[in-house]
Amino acid sequence: MRRERENLFYLLEPLLERVERPSRYLNHEWGAVEEQDGPFHVCIMYPDVYDVGLPNLGIAILYDELNRQDGISCERAYLPWIDMAGFMRERSIPLLSLESSSPVASFDLVGFTLAHELVCTNIVEALDLAGITLRADEREEDEPIVIAGGPSAWNCEPVAPMFDAVLLGDGEGAITNMAQCVREAREEGVSRREIWRRLSLLPGVYVPALYDVVVDETSTRWGYCVPKEGSGAPACVTKHCIASLQKTEPVAQRIVPYLTVVQDRLTVEILRGCARGCRFCQAGMTYRPVRERPKEQIVEAVGRGLETSGYDECCLSSLSTTDHSECASILHELYGQLSERGVRISIPSQRLDSYGVEMATSARSSRRAGLTFAPEAGSQRLRDVINKNVTDENMEAAARNAFANGYRRMKLYFMMGLPTETDEDLKGISHMAEHVADIGREVCGKRAKVTVGISVAVFVPKCHTPFQWEGQLPLEETHRRQRVMLHAATDRAVRIAYHDAETSLVEGALSKMGRTGFDLVLAAWRRGCRFDAWTDQFSFERWADAAADIGLDLENIACERFDLDARLPWDHTSPGVSKGFLQREWRRAMEGVTTADCTMTQCTGCGVCPALGVANELAGERA
Amino acid sequence: MSNDAGACRLRVRYVKEGRLAHLGHLEVMGTVLRSVRRAELPFEVSEGFAKRMRIQFSQALPVGASSVAEYYDLLMPVRLDAQEALDRLKAATPTLLAPQEARVLPRRMPALEAWANRALWDVDILGEDVTPDAVRDGIEAALQKGTLEFMRGTKPRTLDLTSTLVSYELEAISGGADDDGGRGVHTRGVHLGLDTRVTERGSLRPAVLINAVLGRAPNRVCRLSQWHEERDGSLTSPMSVG
Repeated sequence: MRRERENLFYLLEPLLERVERPSRYLNHEWGAVEEQDGPFHVCIMYPDVYDVGLPNLGIAILYDELNRQDGISCERAYLPWIDMAGFMRERSIPLLSLESSSPVASFDLVGFTLAHELVCTNIVEALDLAGITLRADEREEDEPIVIAGGPSAWNCEPVAPMFDAVLLGDGEGAITNMAQCVREAREEGVSRREIWRRLSLLPGVYVPALYDVVVDETSTRWGYCVPKEGSGAPACVTKHCIASLQKTEPVAQRIVPYLTVVQDRLTVEILRGCARGCRFCQAGMTYRPVRERPKEQIVEAVGRGLETSGYDECCLSSLSTTDHSECASILHELYGQLSERGVRISIPSQRLDSYGVEMATSARSSRRAGLTFAPEAGSQRLRDVINKNVTDENMEAAARNAFANGYRRMKLYFMMGLPTETDEDLKGISHMAEHVADIGREVCGKRAKVTVGISVAVFVPKCHTPFQWEGQLPLEETHRRQRVMLHAATDRAVRIAYHDAETSLVEGALSKMGRTGFDLVLAAWRRGCRFDAWTDQFSFERWADAAADIGLDLENIACERFDLDARLPWDHTSPGVSKGFLQREWRRAMEGVTTADCTMTQCTGCGVCPALGVANELAGERA
Repeated sequence: MSNDAGACRLRVRYVKEGRLAHLGHLEVMGTVLRSVRRAELPFEVSEGFAKRMRIQFSQALPVGASSVAEYYDLLMPVRLDAQEALDRLKAATPTLLAPQEARVLPRRMPALEAWANRALWDVDILGEDVTPDAVRDGIEAALQKGTLEFMRGTKPRTLDLTSTLVSYELEAISGGADDDGGRGVHTRGVHLGLDTRVTERGSLRPAVLINAVLGRAPNRVCRLSQWHEERDGSLTSPMSVG
C-alpha cells in the first residue's frame, strides 16, 4: 500500500536537539519551492547527508526543471546521518522529504542520484528507512516508481535490481519525459509491468527488470544482459544527450543552504563533456560531445546567480573549465565586475601549462590555497599510455609561471596502479614533485616557504573506458608501490598523501561486477555498511566479510582482467562511444601512442557524434 | 575602514523563529550575509586579499533558542534610508529570520557583541511533574552555592551565577488535556522568565541553568530583548541608542 501523504515534521522536531547538525533537516531554505501541490509528486534523493548532497548540480537541474512543469511538484530528500536514522528507526518514523516532510514512500516517483559506486549501501538504507520494497520486481503495484541516474549510472548492475528504471546520460528533458510517462500511466491505471514497458521506450531509459542476465562462453563470469523475450526493450540503451548546453538554464542552483555544505558557493556549468581522451577517465568518455556555453550567457548567469542567491563565490564548473575556448576572457570580465563586491571566482583545477596559470591568475584565485594540477603519472612514457597529453616542459612552465605569480603552494594529483606502471614511474612521481619544489625555491628564493603536496589515488578500471578490461592492483602490491613512492621522496617541501587502498578495492569490485553485485551490496548493508565514502565509517572488514557471506573474494573480483573480446556486464548500455574505439584506444595505450583532442584537431572516431546525432559545440577557437 | 563622510552603520533587529531556532550562530550569520547581498545594500568590505563584508552581530544565540530581539550592524560606505533598507532586507531574508526594525547610526560605535550585555529570556519547561516550587528550589540552591558547574562539550566550565543571573520569575502552565492534538506533547509545566547579564567571565545560557537545577533540557527558550547596562544600572535598548 502506498503511504499517505502527510506532514510528519512534528515527529522529527523533538529529535533535532539530540542530533548533530540539526539544520540538515529543517527545509525552508532560501529558494526552496514551498508550494508542492502536485498532483503528481516527485522526490529526488541524494543518498548521503544534506551537506554533501545539496551542492549536487544534477539534482538542482532536475528540481528546477520538474517544478516548472504543470501538475508536477518536486521535493528533495537526503539520507539522515546515523544518529538521526537511529532515532527514526526507534520511533518508526519513515524517511521524509524535505519540503513537505511527507513520507518518501508516499511519492509517485522517487529518483536517486548515483554519484559514485560507494553510495550503493546508502541507497539500500534509504529505501529501507522509507519503507519501500527493495527490489523493483517485488514492489506492490501502487508503491512509488523508483528511478536513478547520474555519473555512476554506467554499470549500474550492482544496484539495478532496486530501480524500476535508470536514466543514462543528460537529465534535461528526459526527467520530464519519465515523470509524464509515469503520470499518464498511473492516471490510466495500468500495471507496473506496463509502466516499465513504456519507460523502456523513452530515449536513454534502461529498465533492468526487462532484461535477463546470461552467462556463457562469450562473456565474463558476470554475464551480459539481453532483453526478455517479448519485452520490447532495446538490446542496447543509448544515452540521452542534449545537443546544446546553451539552450538549458545556466542558473539551475537556486537553493541557498543555512549550514556550510561541501561546496558552499554558486556553481555555473560553463561546458559539458571533455574530449582530451584520458584513457582512465569515465566522465571523459561518457559525457561527450563537448558543449560550451557562450561567454555572454556565462557572464550574465554568474551575475544573476550571485544576485538571487547572495553567494560570495562562484565556481565555473565543468570537467575541464580552462579548456573553454573563451575562459580567459570570461575570467577577466567577471573579475572586473565582481571583485569590489568581495566575490571570488573559482575554477576547479588548472590546465597543466602556463596558459592555465595565467587563467588562474586572472581569476585572482587564492595564493594561500595554491594551484592544483593533475599530471596523473610520473613519467612521460606512462602519461602517453594514459593519453594525458602533457609534457615535463608543460609542468615546468606551469610551475615557473605559478611561482612567479606569487603562488607558494602547489598540489599535484597522480594515480598509481595504472596499466604498464613500473617502479620507475612511481619514483617519477616523487621526483617530479621535488623538481617542482626546486623550481619554487629557484624562483621565489631559498627562504620562501614553498610546498608541493601530492595526492595519489589508486587506479580503478571503469566501464566504458579504454581501460575497462584491466584489473586492479592487489592490496599487497598497492601497499608495496606506495612504499616505493614514499621512499623515493626525500625533499621536506614535498608532502605525500595517498588514497586508502581498501576503499579503492571495494570501488573496483563494484565497478567490475554485474547484477550479482547486488547480493554483495545487500550483504554489506546487512553487516552494517553505510556511508562508505566517509573514511571514519568505511569498514573493509565488513565488506570482506560480506563478500565471504556470498562466496566471493573482493580482491579476486577487482583484480580480474577481462578478455578484450568478452561480452561485458554493461554492453547493453552505451554512452555513444563505440566499443571498437575503446579497443583501439587500449591497443594504442599498450603501444604508448597518444590520441589528440578532437576539439583542437580533427575527429578521432570515438563514434559519439554519428551515434547520437550531435557534434561538439564550441563558443570559439580552442587554443 | 571608510573615511567617507557618508559612512554609517545600519542597525537591524531581526527574529529567529520556528524551526530556524535550530540554526547555529554561524549558520545565522551566513544567512544574514547572503540576505544583505541579495538585498543589494551597499556594504564596506575588509582590506586585504580576501575581501569580507563588514558586519557585527549581537551575542550568539544558542542552537535551539528562538528570539524576537537579535541584532546586527552593517557598516555601509554610504547612507541609505533605513525604511528602504529594511524593505529590501525583508524581501531578501527567510521569513523565520525576518528583519523587524532598522536604524541608521553613526559609523563609530562600540561593537554590538560586547555592548549588548543584558538579556531577557522566556523559558518553558513542560512536564506533569514540573512545578514552580521545584524550579524555584533548584535555582535558589544554585544561587546559594554561587556558581554553576557544567560541561561545554568535553570541557568542564564554572560560571558565577550571582553576577550573571539578575532576576527570575516563575509561573505555572496548565494547558487543556487535548491541546497537543494527540501528539503526546505535555501542556503542563512551568514558565520561567530570566534576566541575565553578560560579564567578562561569561554569560548564562538558560539551558545550562535548567540542566543544572533539573537535570533536563527546557522545551522552549526565547530571547525577548537585549539591552546595554550602563554603569549606573540603567538600560539602553540597541534601537534607541545614539
